[in-house]
Amino acid sequence: MRRVAILGAGMVPFGKYPGKTLSEIAWPAVKAAIEDSNIPKKTIEAAYCGTALGGMMSGQRILKTLGITGLPIINIENACSSSSTAFREAWIAVAAGVYDVVVVIGVEKLTKFGGGTLPLEKEDFEVAHGLVMPALYAMRARRYMHEFGLTEDHLAKVSVKARNHGKHNPDAQLREPTTVEEVNRSRPVADPLKLFHCCPSGDGAAAVLICAEDVASKYGGVPINVVGSEINSGKYMTGFRDMTSPEITVRGAAQLYEEAGIGPEDIDLAEVHDAFSIAELLYYEALGFCPRGEAGRLIDEGETSVGGRIPVNPSGGLLAKGHPIGATGVAQIVEIVRQLRGQCGDRQVEDAKVGLTHCTGGGVSGFDHGVCSIHLFSR
Amino acid sequence: MADSVQELKQALNITGDAMVEKSDGSVRLVGSKCSACGDWIFPPTPVCPECMSESVERRELSEIGCLYSWSVVRIAPKNWKTPFVAGYVDFPEKVRVFAHMVDIDPECLSFDMKLSVCKAVVGQDADGTQIESYSFLPAEGRN
Ligand SMILES: [Zn+2]
Repeated sequence: MRRVAILGAGMVPFGKYPGKTLSEIAWPAVKAAIEDSNIPKKTIEAAYCGTALGGMMSGQRILKTLGITGLPIINIENACSSSSTAFREAWIAVAAGVYDVVVVIGVEKLTKFGGGTLPLEKEDFEVAHGLVMPALYAMRARRYMHEFGLTEDHLAKVSVKARNHGKHNPDAQLREPTTVEEVNRSRPVADPLKLFHCCPSGDGAAAVLICAEDVASKYGGVPINVVGSEINSGKYMTGFRDMTSPEITVRGAAQLYEEAGIGPEDIDLAEVHDAFSIAELLYYEALGFCPRGEAGRLIDEGETSVGGRIPVNPSGGLLAKGHPIGATGVAQIVEIVRQLRGQCGDRQVEDAKVGLTHCTGGGVSGFDHGVCSIHLFSR
Repeated sequence: MADSVQELKQALNITGDAMVEKSDGSVRLVGSKCSACGDWIFPPTPVCPECMSESVERRELSEIGCLYSWSVVRIAPKNWKTPFVAGYVDFPEKVRVFAHMVDIDPECLSFDMKLSVCKAVVGQDADGTQIESYSFLPAEGRN
């Protein structure tokens, strides 16, 4: 396998664009990534587009606006991991030598559903019984609080940190800081989760341009190396499972660390799938940033804030940057690229050399998550 | 038949009803037990996900399970009357079932408490058709 690098990254600010089509939302992100890379558009040999709910031929609809057509365009759906899956597939193709230069897009327009919880497939028996994502995470939170003595203030501190980071990110959907008191007072959604414990719904797009490492040197700039790529489905368990430890992330992280020869102690920053405040805490443990049961201490001591030992979600994460689901995976990668290049201003993680992205997806009964994809990058 | 009722029936009626009423008025959930490897699955399925055997038998689950976790859910698609109480209940057959807990005071719930299966109206379709399914109530000293 050849080594693969990212040469260009771009995104549009996440937010609500009800008046724009999917392709109107996405093309500026793709154009930004190409211009950032310095690679002429005619050099692009293939495109991978991840979207969960964008509809058929999303990639073609987006790329025709920029005249990038007549090449393989692959559309990928994998719930909230749609574009991290697209990135993984693109990485495989370049690493295998099939293509030298590939563009990866993540895009979603959730405003077309008019708000509310994510529409899930009703042939699933739990969904047919009214299970919504906030309820699932609420049950995880309640069980974790029971087993490890976590409090509502711990949950609130995750949201406060997210907003503190998001206020420095011009691409974030929520940029107003908040307080523990304000989070605790926000509208109850699914007890113990309140509105401010949940990521906002919205629209957005992100794109990266990847290439074989030897090609990268031709175009200059600072290539960011892809040093590990992992994807997994959850294990289907009809029986009991420990909902305080996300098995798919635990398993995926262990595999990735072994393959890459990099451990959690080597990582300078991470963008993780904090769709709900409790999720980020579970992932501190699952990704090995602290031992089991110590996630509350980590957030208490500020270790995961910018300036702390292991900054998590310097972009603001899903809680503040927003979560247009299919766009999230590539948007996480855009943040890591900018951090490793030192372009992040007031939210810059000092001397960042190794970054991790972690993206899960899917509410399917019997699974912890339907999918999880984790990537490692270095400069 | 209204949409949500149809969807619920499809989701649960893979090989027939997932719930039976006994002559004494009590209710049991019905799962599948694999004759080849012994695994239990809920809702009933024609094929065992563990060993792919199609020799699976419809069997009643125990009446009483233990509460693993729960939530008072305040936002949901419109056919659900919010707020509703819902949770995961673990059965001795080692299956976990997500269900509503209709007519229950969430303040009385505790981890691992015993709950028994009952039948209840859990929601309502846009045309007023009631969605009936299994639900749980405190087992009140029974075991
Ligand atoms: Zn079997």
